Amino acid sequence: MNFRKKLLTVFALTVFLSVAAVTAIVSAVTRRAFERDDDERAAALVAQFRREFSRRGEEVTARVEAIAASDAATRMALAVSHGSLDYGAFLNDAKNIAADQQLDFLEFVDNDGTIISSAQWPEKFGYKESFFSRSAPKDAFLRQETLPDGAALGLSAIREVDVGDQPLFAVGGRRLDKNFLAGLELPAGTRAMLYQNLGSGFSPQLLLDPSGALQQPDKLAALIEQVQQQHQETGALIHWSSDDLDDETVHAIPLTGQDNQLLGILLVGNSRRSYIGLRRHIRSAALVAGATGIVLAILFSGWAAGRVTRPVEQLAQAAREVTQGNWSVQVPVTSADEIGQLAQAFNRMTGELLEQRDRLVQTERVAAWRELARRLAHELKNPLFPLQLTVENLVRARQQSPEQFEEVFRESSSTLLAEIANLKNIVSRFSEFAKMPQPRLQRVNLNEALQSVARLFQAQLQLPDHPPISLHLDLAQPMEDIAADPELLHRAFSNLALNAMDAMPQGGTLTLRTRQDGERAIVEIADTGAGLTPEECERLFTPYYTSKAHGTGLGLAIVQSVISDHGGKISVQSQPGSGTTFVIELPRNPDKLPASRTDGGPASAAS
Amino acid sequence: MKRSGLVLLVASSLLFSAAARAVVRPHYGGTLRVATAAAPASLDPVDLNQSGSLAARNLSYLIFDTLVTLDDQGRPRPALAASWQPEPGNQRWRFTLRRGVSFQDGTPCTADRVAASLRVANPGWKVFASEDSVVIERDSPSLDLPAELASARNGIAKRDGSALSGTGPFAVTAWAPAKKLTLAAYNDCWRGRPFVDSIEVAMGQGYREQMLALDLGKADVIEIAPEQARRAAAGGRRVESSSPTELMALVFAHDPQSPAEEHWREALAFSIDRGSLNNVLLQGGGEPAGGLLPNWMTGYAFLFPASADLAKARQVRGDSRQSSAWTLSYDPGDPVARMVAERTALNAHDAGLSLQLTSSAVADVRLVRVPIISLDSRIALAALAAAIGLTPPPFVGGSEQDLYSAESALLQSHRVIPLLHLRASCGAGGAVRNWSQGPDGTWRLDEVWQGPEKP
Repeated sequence: MNFRKKLLTVFALTVFLSVAAVTAIVSAVTRRAFERDDDERAAALVAQFRREFSRRGEEVTARVEAIAASDAATRMALAVSHGSLDYGAFLNDAKNIAADQQLDFLEFVDNDGTIISSAQWPEKFGYKESFFSRSAPKDAFLRQETLPDGAALGLSAIREVDVGDQPLFAVGGRRLDKNFLAGLELPAGTRAMLYQNLGSGFSPQLLLDPSGALQQPDKLAALIEQVQQQHQETGALIHWSSDDLDDETVHAIPLTGQDNQLLGILLVGNSRRSYIGLRRHIRSAALVAGATGIVLAILFSGWAAGRVTRPVEQLAQAAREVTQGNWSVQVPVTSADEIGQLAQAFNRMTGELLEQRDRLVQTERVAAWRELARRLAHELKNPLFPLQLTVENLVRARQQSPEQFEEVFRESSSTLLAEIANLKNIVSRFSEFAKMPQPRLQRVNLNEALQSVARLFQAQLQLPDHPPISLHLDLAQPMEDIAADPELLHRAFSNLALNAMDAMPQGGTLTLRTRQDGERAIVEIADTGAGLTPEECERLFTPYYTSKAHGTGLGLAIVQSVISDHGGKISVQSQPGSGTTFVIELPRNPDKLPASRTDGGPASAAS
Repeated sequence: MKRSGLVLLVASSLLFSAAARAVVRPHYGGTLRVATAAAPASLDPVDLNQSGSLAARNLSYLIFDTLVTLDDQGRPRPALAASWQPEPGNQRWRFTLRRGVSFQDGTPCTADRVAASLRVANPGWKVFASEDSVVIERDSPSLDLPAELASARNGIAKRDGSALSGTGPFAVTAWAPAKKLTLAAYNDCWRGRPFVDSIEVAMGQGYREQMLALDLGKADVIEIAPEQARRAAAGGRRVESSSPTELMALVFAHDPQSPAEEHWREALAFSIDRGSLNNVLLQGGGEPAGGLLPNWMTGYAFLFPASADLAKARQVRGDSRQSSAWTLSYDPGDPVARMVAERTALNAHDAGLSLQLTSSAVADVRLVRVPIISLDSRIALAALAAAIGLTPPPFVGGSEQDLYSAESALLQSHRVIPLLHLRASCGAGGAVRNWSQGPDGTWRLDEVWQGPEKP
């Protein structure tokens, strides 16, 4: 990641985190406010329920009092007192009276709790009511009513029918069911549910809401079981669906009977829809603000980072050019700050580097000429010295032995001619080195070129007075043609092959190898001779350098010149004792290939 | 002095009242309006099955005669057959027909027509006419054949397509199946013309509607549910109740699967407080039943225990607990059945047994109401057994001991627990005179006449 991106990321992250922090703080404040409001609403609802419960209880009590004072109750009480009780006579009385008084439950029981008449279970006459106690509270109370089809929760009151010697009690009540819940006036967004604790554990059928059976009752199981165990008011957040809008905060309030037995649990649900909606609005606004901030931050930071990083990037680019050899590169100095000082320093550095390079090239050039002059002088000095001796010998013979002068002259003349020929040879070679012809490119097959060289030296490999040298041809098939001068290549390859043979006076293996490497053709000429030292390898292509006793020192220089003129390069791989390999890389130059092969290629040239 | 005057006044009023009643003579004419809860879809006697309602049988007796009739003691008496004679072995019987009897359409009631009618009702019998007699041949000795012929199902009918004609005191003039039936007096009835000219029967009426119709003077004779009879009478209505003619019982769907289940069933029988069922829920509309047949028919029914004995129930149940609750089904349209079922479940609970009520037709135990269709004990017992799905008992002989043994065998199968015998009650308006019921609840409408409305 470059500096500009880092700078941009820091800017964007800063803006995003700022917006996120503001959003989190606003959300937290909203949540706390809503929870406070939720608690207040739940408390108000519970208080309302208790008032409603109390009001219903008073209503039930009033109705039971009216029943106890009715003629029907009086007749029943008299029958009980007289001991002439006929259950059949009162079988439907409780039912009819309960219907008149709009009560769900009504029983008349005697002093022992024996049921005289029952509205909710008429067939239960003569049975004892298990819950009955003369010390029942004056106010209405919650109790579990046993019915033929199970049990139900009721709000009941007991009143004594004060007639005769034997007391009779009227026990009336109303059922706590969905109708009771539907009768509660609740604020919008809240609802009441009732769990009738008529057995152990949680039973979904016992959970009611104003519409009847509750959907997904199991969601409230844990809350109800907690109240069943602790008998304490508690609350929980209920997720009715995967949508947060359906979430509800439910407060569970235990409802107990006479002996503090847990008979029911009132569940007050407070919808979180408004809160979730508000929270979503806040998040949406935060998202929009955040996104806008991030876009602005990107734009601004891009601009700012550009101003900061552009000189640095220019410096970096200039440095890359320097490494690629362009030492004359300069960077503009646009400011006087640290970046500007850095640019000035860079410019100074490249200027100094350029000057040093020029000086170095000049020095090297002089040294090269001196070396060439030294070697050329050395080469020329060798024949000049015999010439000098021969001429001095002639002069001395002329002065001291005229009679022998003719003979000396004849001998000296031949010597002089030989040495002069030698000098001419040296000069012609130097001239030849200096005036290497430019390649005339033709279609050349390197395999054929190497085979031609092999055929040329075949006889010399097996000389009777020389240890045998075996030839190994390792030619790639197929080998694509390249554009090259066949004569120059043949001369170069021949020179290298001759060097290789000279390097193996004890015999060995001469290897001629070709291979294709993409658009380059590779030729390797290797021997198994004594090898070269690293220093020899470095100087091997220097003109007039030779490791042989009779070499001119120009052969490999000419080879390098030929290869270089073809756009290729030559290298040497060697270790003392492990032979030497010359590796020649030549470009195929397919765009320079003639349309078809011309006659008189390397093969014919070699022959 | 004042007291003596008051006594004289009351005595003179009573004498005047008795004298006034004595001078009111039967007279012909008028229409009798009858309401029934039953709604038969057919009047053909052969469509009367064993569990058919009493009202349907009563209507059939108005239109069709049987060869034999039974008196209040269940003894066969001549009807269309003037006499009968079994041949040795009691397999073949000859019934000599009464002379001069005609169907209501004027056709003479011949032996051929009687034999044809009996063959329709009893396809398994060999019935053929022989001059003025009808000969019936059974596959086995049949001592009770005359009593069997007295059942409404064996009413003699002349079937002419869809038209039916009988020899009874009333002929059908209009018939809307299950809704309304209009009968007209048959002037040439061999028993003599009935007093009223016609009878209009409104069918499918609820008990409450019938009571209302009686109170409003829109019906002269109505049916009253057994549990409402006492209240109806207490309301000043004229209520007539028969001897108990209907059995209410618990019937198990299967035989006991183990000795323990036999004990549970026996314990259930002991746990039920039949007295409370009858006195409270039925408002005295029946009698506690320990046996299948009522005591007035057999004279030995008191030998079967009918009172609750909770201690014995618990003892019989023993230590073995009922593994699962029995389901008890009842007719959901019958409020009395529901109450009896719930009280029975309460009683069973006291004995440590569990009965779970259901309105489903498939249940371990059914609460059933089966009418007793004959005054003949053997026929009545066999019909009861068949109606509740038990194999009718084979009667070894004709003695009361044989009948007792047969009934005991049925009870000891532990398939049925009798609860109550219910009376058939009906209410009659103030203008209805000479109203009477047979002990089996049959109406004798042919003897009824209408007088002025009583105040």
